[in-house]
Amino acid sequence: MPEEKKDELVHLTIDDIPVAVPPGTLVWAAAREAGIEVPIYCYHPKMPPLGACRMCFVEIEKMPKPPQTACTTPVSEGMIVHTKTEKVLKARRGTLEFLLINHPLDCPICDKGGECDLQDFTLRHGPGGTRFDQPKRHYQKPIPVSDRVMLDRERCILCQRCTRFSSEISMDNGLVMISRGYKMEVGTAPDHAFDSIFSGNTVEICPVGALTATAYRFKARPWELKHIPSVCNNCSVGCNVRVDVRVDKIMRNMSRQNDAIDDGWLCDRGRWGFEYVNSPQRLRTPMIRRDGQLVAAAWEQAFYTIALRLSEITKKYGASAIGGIGSTRTTNEDAYLFQKLLRQVIGTPHVDHHHGYFPGLRDSMTGKPWMMTNSIAEIEQASHIVLIAADPYQRQPILDLRIKKAMKGGAKIYVVNVNETELDRFAVQKITLPQQGAGAVAKILLSTVVRQEEMKAPDEALRAKLLQEDALIRGHEEMLGSEVTAQLRELAHEIAEARGAIILYDEMATLEAGCEDLAADLQALAVVTGNIDRPGAGVGPLFEDANSLGARDMGLLPDALPGYNPAEDAGMTYAEMLSSLQLKALYVMGANPARHVEKLPDSLKLLIVQDIMLTETAQQADIVLPAVTFAEKDGSMTNIDHHVQAIRQALRPLPGAKADWEIFVEIARHMGIKWNYASSKEILREIAEENPFYAGLDWEELGAQGVRTQEQEVARA
Amino acid sequence: MPELIITKNIDAPGLDTLKGYRKRGGYKSLAKALKEYQPDDILEMVKKSGLRGRGGAGFPTGMKWGFLAKNQPRYLCCNCDESEPGTFKDRMLMEKNPHQLIEGVILTSYACRVSVAFIYVRGELALAGRQIERAIEEAYGAGLIGKNILGSGYDLEVIMHRGAGAYICGEESALMESLEGRRGYPRLKPPFPAAVGLYGGPTVINNCETLSTIPAIVKNGADWYASFGTEKSKGTRVFCLSGHVKKPGNYELPLGTPLRTLIYDEEYGGGILDDKQLKAIIPGGSSTFMLGADKVDTPLDFEAIAAAGSMLGSGGVVVIHEDTCIVGAALRMTEFYRDESCGKCTPCREGTYWLTEIYERLEHGRGKESDIDLLMDICDNISGKSFCPLGDAATSPITSSIKLFREEYEYHVRHGRCMVGDQHAQQETLLAGAQSVHAGAPAKEM
Amino acid sequence: MISEQAKQRMRELAAHYPVARSAVMPALYIAQQEEGYITEAALEAVAEAIGMTVDDVESVATFYTMYYQQPPGKKVIKVCTSISCYLRNCDALVDRFEQRLGIERGETTADGNYTLMTAECLASCGTAPVIQVNDEFVENVTLEMADELVSEWERELSADVGTQFIAPSSDQEISAPRAQ
Ligand SMILES: Cc1cc2nc3c(=O)[nH]c(=O)nc-3n(C[C@H](O)[C@H](O)[C@H](O)COP(=O)(O)O)c2cc1C
Ligand code: SF4
Ligand code: FES
Repeated sequence: MPEEKKDELVHLTIDDIPVAVPPGTLVWAAAREAGIEVPIYCYHPKMPPLGACRMCFVEIEKMPKPPQTACTTPVSEGMIVHTKTEKVLKARRGTLEFLLINHPLDCPICDKGGECDLQDFTLRHGPGGTRFDQPKRHYQKPIPVSDRVMLDRERCILCQRCTRFSSEISMDNGLVMISRGYKMEVGTAPDHAFDSIFSGNTVEICPVGALTATAYRFKARPWELKHIPSVCNNCSVGCNVRVDVRVDKIMRNMSRQNDAIDDGWLCDRGRWGFEYVNSPQRLRTPMIRRDGQLVAAAWEQAFYTIALRLSEITKKYGASAIGGIGSTRTTNEDAYLFQKLLRQVIGTPHVDHHHGYFPGLRDSMTGKPWMMTNSIAEIEQASHIVLIAADPYQRQPILDLRIKKAMKGGAKIYVVNVNETELDRFAVQKITLPQQGAGAVAKILLSTVVRQEEMKAPDEALRAKLLQEDALIRGHEEMLGSEVTAQLRELAHEIAEARGAIILYDEMATLEAGCEDLAADLQALAVVTGNIDRPGAGVGPLFEDANSLGARDMGLLPDALPGYNPAEDAGMTYAEMLSSLQLKALYVMGANPARHVEKLPDSLKLLIVQDIMLTETAQQADIVLPAVTFAEKDGSMTNIDHHVQAIRQALRPLPGAKADWEIFVEIARHMGIKWNYASSKEILREIAEENPFYAGLDWEELGAQGVRTQEQEVARA
Repeated sequence: MPELIITKNIDAPGLDTLKGYRKRGGYKSLAKALKEYQPDDILEMVKKSGLRGRGGAGFPTGMKWGFLAKNQPRYLCCNCDESEPGTFKDRMLMEKNPHQLIEGVILTSYACRVSVAFIYVRGELALAGRQIERAIEEAYGAGLIGKNILGSGYDLEVIMHRGAGAYICGEESALMESLEGRRGYPRLKPPFPAAVGLYGGPTVINNCETLSTIPAIVKNGADWYASFGTEKSKGTRVFCLSGHVKKPGNYELPLGTPLRTLIYDEEYGGGILDDKQLKAIIPGGSSTFMLGADKVDTPLDFEAIAAAGSMLGSGGVVVIHEDTCIVGAALRMTEFYRDESCGKCTPCREGTYWLTEIYERLEHGRGKESDIDLLMDICDNISGKSFCPLGDAATSPITSSIKLFREEYEYHVRHGRCMVGDQHAQQETLLAGAQSVHAGAPAKEM
Repeated sequence: MISEQAKQRMRELAAHYPVARSAVMPALYIAQQEEGYITEAALEAVAEAIGMTVDDVESVATFYTMYYQQPPGKKVIKVCTSISCYLRNCDALVDRFEQRLGIERGETTADGNYTLMTAECLASCGTAPVIQVNDEFVENVTLEMADELVSEWERELSADVGTQFIAPSSDQEISAPRAQ
C-alpha cells in the first residue's frame, strides 16, 4: 500500500452528518465522532468487537439484512448510516426488553444506580414498559467471586466484558462464563476465587451492577461523589485515577484513561490501596519528645524548636553535622524544596533519598540517570521484549498488561530471571538464572554481540574494554553454565537482528553484588544493536515508587543538584548518613530508615521525622511533623517513562496536618529565610526554570494527562 | 428407482470395513486422482458438478473451495455434528459407510492443499464416532492417510474430534471454536473461514454428506453427477423422512423429486400413518418454515422449496398429520432452541426463554389472547437481530405455524386445550404398532 | 483421583493437536471416564495437562451437556423428545420410564442405578421414538419394549453388583448449572 493511502480518511455520513475517520474505524466510533450516541454493552474500545449484546443497531444503506451492529462494522467510503430509523429503534427496544425480562430491577439498592448503562439506555432507548409478565429467573443474591469482588447474577446482562477482560487483557482466565444459553452465568470453578491482581477492572467495566467491589458496596451513591483527577501513588507506572470522594473520604479510585500510560486500566493495589489516607492512625498533630515521651505540640512550637535545635547544632558542630533523607513517594515540589532547605537554608551537602541502600541509578560517566529510553506506549511496537531480573506483574502491574498487549500484537517475550514470574507462560523463552546472575547476563549479551560482529553502531572503545574483561566474562559463563550461556548467545543474536527490541530490568537488580555494570552494559547493548532512538526499541530500568525518578531529578542526591548538576562537594549517601558518627541531626521526610538498619546512629542528637503515620523511625524521633497524603495536596510526580503528571487535591488536608512543602516554607521562615511560594504551582515554575529536564513546564500545561519531557536527555553509554 | 449415489450398497454387510469398501470400488477415485489429477482439476470437477452443500445453506461446494486464501497451513473441517431435529443421514453415512467419507475427506484435502483435516463428530453419536475412528486407523494402516499417500508425495493428517453435546457446534464457526478447545460460540463474520478459520488458517468446512459425495463425482465425472437433479439443484441428496408417515427413513433421491413422491410413493414414505390427512410438512429440519399440505407437490430442490416459502435445509422432512396439535409441536421445537442457544447474544438467549414461557402457558390453557401477537413480535425482535442463524431458526416454526394455523392458537387460548384429537388416546395406538424400518435402521456393531 | 496413565494420555493429546488447547474436550472425556463425572480432581488434571486455568476448563466443561456435573446412575437413559420423536409420542415413553423407575426426568435413583433424562434430537428420527442407554441406541421403542428393558436392567444390575462402573458420557438435564 502506498504511504499516503494509509493516512487517507474514509468519508461517510451518519444521520446526514458527514464524518471523516481513519480506515478500520468502527461505525460506532465514527458515530461518536459525529456526536451521536449509539448505545453499547458488550463492546469495549479496548477489546475486539464481540457483537453479542445486540444493542448498537444502526441501519446502513445497501447492506443486506438490516439492522447492522455498529460495534462490528467498519466504515467504508461513502457509507450512509442511519441511527434513528424506526427499524433501528424497534430493534433496540427489543433488545432492552429482552435484557430486562430477567433483571431484578432492584435499582434503589444497587451500587450502580445512577451510573448504570442499563438504566441510562433504557431511559433513552428503551420500551416504556415490559410485556413480560412471568416469573423471572432467580439466583442467590450477591455471591463473592473473591474477597474483593461480589457478583449479583440476576443483574448481569451477560455482555462478557468482564470475562473477556480476564481472557483477552489480563490473560489470567480467572473469571469465565459458566453453562450456556439462558442458564449462562459469570463465575469461576467451584470454590475457586477470582484472584487476579487486575480484578477491579472487571467491576469498573461492568455496565450494570452485576460486579461490585466489596470495598465500595453500599458506601455511597454516585451522585454524592466528587470526582478529582489524580495519579496513583502506588508504583512507578503512575496510572491515572479519578479519586471519588464523599465528605472528605476517598470512596474509590476509578481509571481515568490515559492511553500513553495505563491504557485505561488500574491494578487492584492502585484501585483499592488507599486505606492509609482514611486511616485513623494518621498523625494529626506535631509531637515533641519530653522526658522520653512524644507529646503533642502546636505547629508554631514545633517550628520554633526545630529552628532552635538546628542552629544550636550548626553552631556547635557545623552545618555538615546535619543530614536529610527524602522520599520517593512525595511530589517533585516537596522533594525540591526539601533539598533546597537542606542545602541553601541549613547549608549541608548531605542530601539523599530512601531507596533501600540504592546508590542512585545513574551513569557514572555523565551523572545522568538511567531511565527507559522508550515510552510505555512504544512497548506495543516492539518485536522483542526482554525482561532481565524484572517482574512487572508484581512490581509494575499495569506494564504487565502492556507487555501482554504487545505479545498479542506479535512481540516475542524473553524472561531472564532467578524466580518464576507470571509472564513465564507467555514467554517464547524463559532463562532461569542462579542468584545474582543478572550482571553476568548483561555482560554475556553485550560481549556476544561485540564478538560476533553484530554491532550496528560499532564502538571500538567498547570492544577494547570487553577484551580486557575477557577473563571476567569467561568466569560468568562458567557460573551460568553452558546451557544458559548458549541460550543467552541466541538471545543476543535475536536482539541484534530484532526489528525493535525493548530491554527492561528492575532497578533493584542493580543493587546485587556483581550487577554494578548491569545498567551500563544493557544500555551499551541497546546502543550497539541500534535498539535505541527508534520506535519500538529501547532499554531501561523499572523503578519501584511513584516518584522514584522525580526524587532524583529534584536533586535528592548527595552528589547532584536538581537536573543532575554536580554538587560542588558531594555529601554523604543514604547509607553513609545512617552509619556516620559525625551526623548529629537527621531530617527524614517520608522515609523509614529504621526499618532498614538495625539501629540509627547513637551520635544523633536530633531526629526530625515528617510523615503521615508514626513509623518505626518516627517512634524514635525527637520531633514528629504530620504531613498530608497525595490526596490532600497539589503537585507533580514523574513516572517511569518520564511523564510529569499533576496530582490534584481531592480532600481537605487532615486537620492538624500540612503539606510537606508548606512545612519547609515555615521552617525556612523560622530560620530567617523568607520564601514566597503561595502554592506548589510556583515551586514547579522554579523547578522548570532550573532543571533542564523540566524546562518550560507549568502547572496548566500538565493538564489532564501529563507531559512526557526530555526523552533526549537520557544518559548514553 | 434412480441410481443411488451415496447410499449405494449402504446395507451391504462389511461395507464399513476397508476391505468391504474396497471390494465395492472404494478408494479407486483416490488412487486415480492422486495419479492423474492436479488439485485444481478436482476443484474444477466439483465446480462443474454443481454440487451444493448438504449441511443446510446449500452453498456451491466448488465455489467455496475456490475462495480459500492462499496462505498455509490450511485446514479442512468435516461437519458431522448432525443435530438438526428431523435429520439423521450423516449418522447413517458414518455408521455404515465411514470409508466413503474418509475418501471424500482425503480427496477434498488434496484438492484444497490441506495438510490437516478434522472430522467433528457429534458427541452423542458414539457408534458413528467409533466407526470413523476405526476407519481412520485402517486408512492410516493402508497408507491412505499419513505421509506420502499412495506414493504420491502428498501428506495428510486426519483427526477425529468428538463433540460433547451442543447443537450450535454444527454452525461452522462455532465448530471451529469448539475444535480449538473453547465454548462453542459462533464467531464474527467476516472474516469467513475460507480466509481466517481454524487456528487462524484458511479453512474449508463441509458437511458429512457433501464430502461423502466427492468420491463418486471424481470417479464418474462432473457431467455424470450433473445429469441428476434440476438445472440449478444438481445431483441427489439423502432425504430424512420422519414423523407421520408409514415408512420413515433415509431415501436418496434426485433433487427436484416432488414432496408427494417422497411422502406417498410405496418405495419411500408409503403415505400418511393410519391414512390420515396431511396437515403440514417441515421440509428441511426444524429450522425451516413449515409448509401447508397444499405445498405437497413442490419439487424438492433449493429453488422450488424457496419459492414455496421455506428452505431445503438439512434434508430433514418431517411430516405432520391432522391429529397433531400445532401449538404442542411448536412448543417442543421452541424448547429445543431455548436449550441449544449458546447464550452469546441477547435476543436468542432471552427471546427463546421468553417464547418457551409463553408457549408453556398457552399449552396448559393459561394463555392470553394477546400472546399470539406477542409471539410474533418477539420473533420479529429475534429474527435478523441475533448474532448467528440459530436465533432466526428458532422463530421459523413459530411464525410459520401461526401464519398457517392461527385459529388453533386462538382455540388454545379460548378453550384451554387443543383443537385437534385427543393426544392421549393416540399415543397408545401409535406405540403399540410396529414401525417400518428403512435405511436408517440401527446398525449393529461389527 | 485421576490416574497417571490418564494424565499421560491427556498430555499426549495436547501434543497431538496443532494447539494444545484443542485437547481439552477429549481430555475431559478421559477424566470423566475415570471419575464418573467432572470432579474437582478432573478439572485440575485437565487444567494441568493442557495448560489452562481450572476456571477456564470449568467454563468449557459446563458449555457442553455431555460432561456430567453430578454423578450419574449406572444406567443413563436418555429419551429423545425432539419433534420427530414427539410426533411418535415419546412423551408416553418418558412417563412409562418415570413410573417404572420411580424418578422424574433429570433425576437419579437413590440407589444410584438409574438416571433418566430427556435428550434433544438424537439423529434417529426415522426410527422414532428412540432412547439411548449409556450411549447405545435402542430404536423404535414401544411401551412393551420399555417394560422389557427395565426388567432386563433390573436383572443385570442385581446380578453383577460388583461389576465395574461404566461411565456413560452424555447428559442433558443433569448438567444444569450447579447451585453456587
Ligand atoms: C445453528 C446451525 C447449526 C448447524 N448445524 C449443522 C450441522 O449439524 N451439520 C452441518 O453439516 N451443518 C450445519 N450447519 C451449517 C454449517 O454452518 C455449514 O454451513 C455447513 O457445515 C457447510 O457445509 P456444506 O457447505 O457442505 O453444507 C449449521 C448451521 C447453523 C447456523
Ligand atoms: S458481570 Fe457485568 S461485565 Fe460481566 S458479563 Fe455480566 S454484565 Fe457484563
Ligand atoms: S445462538 Fe448464539 S448468537 Fe445465536
